[in-house]
Amino acid sequence: MSGEPLLVLDNLVKEFRGGGLFRRGPPVRAVDRVSLTVRRGEALGLVGESGSGKTTLGRCALRLVEPTAGTVHFDGVPVLALDRSALRTLRRRMQIVFQDPYGSLNPRMTVGAAVREPLEVHRLAKGTTAIERVARLFDEVGLDPSIADRYPHELSGGQRQRIGIARALSVEPEFLALDEPVSALDVSVQAQVLNLLADLRERRRLTYLFIAHDLAVVRHLADRVAVMYLGRLMEAGSTTALFAKPLHPYTVSLLEAVPVPDPTAPRRRVVPVGDPPSVRRPPPGCVFHPRCPHPSKDSRCSTEVPKFREVAPGQWAACHYAETTPAPPTLPHGR
Amino acid sequence: MTLLSVRHLVTSFPTDRGPARAVDDVSFDLATGETLGLVGESGCGKTVTALSILRLLEDTTAHIDERSTIEYAGRDLLRLDRESLRRVRGAEIAMIFQDPSASLNPVLTVGSQIAETIRAHRDASRRDAMARAEELLRLVGLPDPARQVGAYAHELSGGMRQRVMIAIALSCEPKILIADEPTTALDVTIQAQILELLAGLQQRLGMAMMLITHDIGVVAGLADRVAVMYGGQIVEQAATADLFRHPTHPYTEALLRAVPRIDRPTTRLATIPGMVPPATSWPSGCRFHPRCPHAWDRCAAEMPPPLPAGGGRVARCWLIEEPERRAS
Repeated sequence: MSGEPLLVLDNLVKEFRGGGLFRRGPPVRAVDRVSLTVRRGEALGLVGESGSGKTTLGRCALRLVEPTAGTVHFDGVPVLALDRSALRTLRRRMQIVFQDPYGSLNPRMTVGAAVREPLEVHRLAKGTTAIERVARLFDEVGLDPSIADRYPHELSGGQRQRIGIARALSVEPEFLALDEPVSALDVSVQAQVLNLLADLRERRRLTYLFIAHDLAVVRHLADRVAVMYLGRLMEAGSTTALFAKPLHPYTVSLLEAVPVPDPTAPRRRVVPVGDPPSVRRPPPGCVFHPRCPHPSKDSRCSTEVPKFREVAPGQWAACHYAETTPAPPTLPHGR
Repeated sequence: MTLLSVRHLVTSFPTDRGPARAVDDVSFDLATGETLGLVGESGCGKTVTALSILRLLEDTTAHIDERSTIEYAGRDLLRLDRESLRRVRGAEIAMIFQDPSASLNPVLTVGSQIAETIRAHRDASRRDAMARAEELLRLVGLPDPARQVGAYAHELSGGMRQRVMIAIALSCEPKILIADEPTTALDVTIQAQILELLAGLQQRLGMAMMLITHDIGVVAGLADRVAVMYGGQIVEQAATADLFRHPTHPYTEALLRAVPRIDRPTTRLATIPGMVPPATSWPSGCRFHPRCPHAWDRCAAEMPPPLPAGGGRVARCWLIEEPERRAS
């Protein structure tokens, strides 16, 4: 179901200027040499906790923030080499949906105008044609077109997220970066939006980069999963393989930490100790080593950065001892 | 033994469109040492229920109905004078919130904030209170407590701040801990640590806990009993295992089927059509009937009271009286 590489990130680095007063501290590396490929038609889930760099990576992919080093190719086009007008043309093909639709919608613009705006900016439609297309988009995302003249504050969170999706779809993109699209929503609304995203993907043959902290949501929606921690990729592989047999101890910890909505599930968990270190002072060697529960952990882990390597067919991990990572002790893995 | 007994709690807020009955006839008991999970989506009334118990809404426009009672240790908390109420808050019933940074004083060390709480309720010297603060920080798993008593909130991570809040809450050995979304703002690995901590402390100290959350995964692992709220009411109450195995109320059932599962692959999620109605215009009859797949005319006309459904389970649903109406 997935085809040729559509989005290819190679050795991507993003540094932000240092912290502190006058920003004279050392630069903070939010994304550290990440290489990742999203194939046409697939949904790649990018997971990680706060400070993992997943959001920054997503924005670098669309060049909404300028990466410090590395390359981004979209359908063979070198995204970072494009001038402004070429980039704008390319943006028609790659769009983003944000977590908080309230923050990304202009409060003084009706939601109909918000969905129409990209059509006009990209000169795809105007006048009645544009209005008709907006009505069709409303319909497609499950909104009554009659609410087009309302303002964002008059809508519910779920409706606003549908507007965010309709706006992204208005320019007929092939690729959507979805940055925590359902995490602000209540469970019942979240289910509606997740089903909508699945339908749209099928109907429009979309490719998704789905950024989320909720592993259950990612398991539900993604074909492949990439796990980030402190700016680095820890593991990537097919959703089935990664949930059945995670290879990186951090992935194991993440899976174990998620509360299971089943009171009969075993309770004893391998919870990583301590807090994640600050991105300002990443530990040497493997960034996860201070919290790692792997029984083979040794001095190599604190000195040598593990290579991101193919440990099992199609499953990559950055751990010196990935071959012997113990399986999650409690998580029942269904087929 | 019943420790806390809430009966017919009605908490309303005046609005332009008339009173919003955010909590509307809520009754439940909390037994010694028990963990009750209170779950529901935004606006269901779970937080207002908790705030009403400690009368933390008194300086707002909220109004608690005269017929409501909240009995604790033979006294009605709603009719307690201010001084007695102050003695109950913190010392008998303590509460922790979602955002620990909003509850901590930025210019006081965490040690002195704990000591302050102790000295507000107990006769203790400053030195003894500080020693106890250090002990409490150790109890909640703060690394290097002897040094951390002198730390300020901004020097601590979100997880550590929540541990400090728990230490403050436990400082007077309360009988009841009300935890309102205690891990919602935290990353999943930190959430797991805090949940383990709460479960361990509760067993060790024998407190009762009211765990308020939107995450049914959290209650599944921690609660003995679960109360599901919708539209300002408890729509179902049952032992945790029973509730998850055989949900009685259609809303509970729908909620359980709407969550993606970490423990197994899911294809299509069940959804609940429509959205939660606003508190100013709850639907007639059963609050859930406009979204319920089984609803019939009785559901729109008559509000179901909490009906016993066998095995200590209670649900506000007419299907208990007319089970043949359940659409398959």
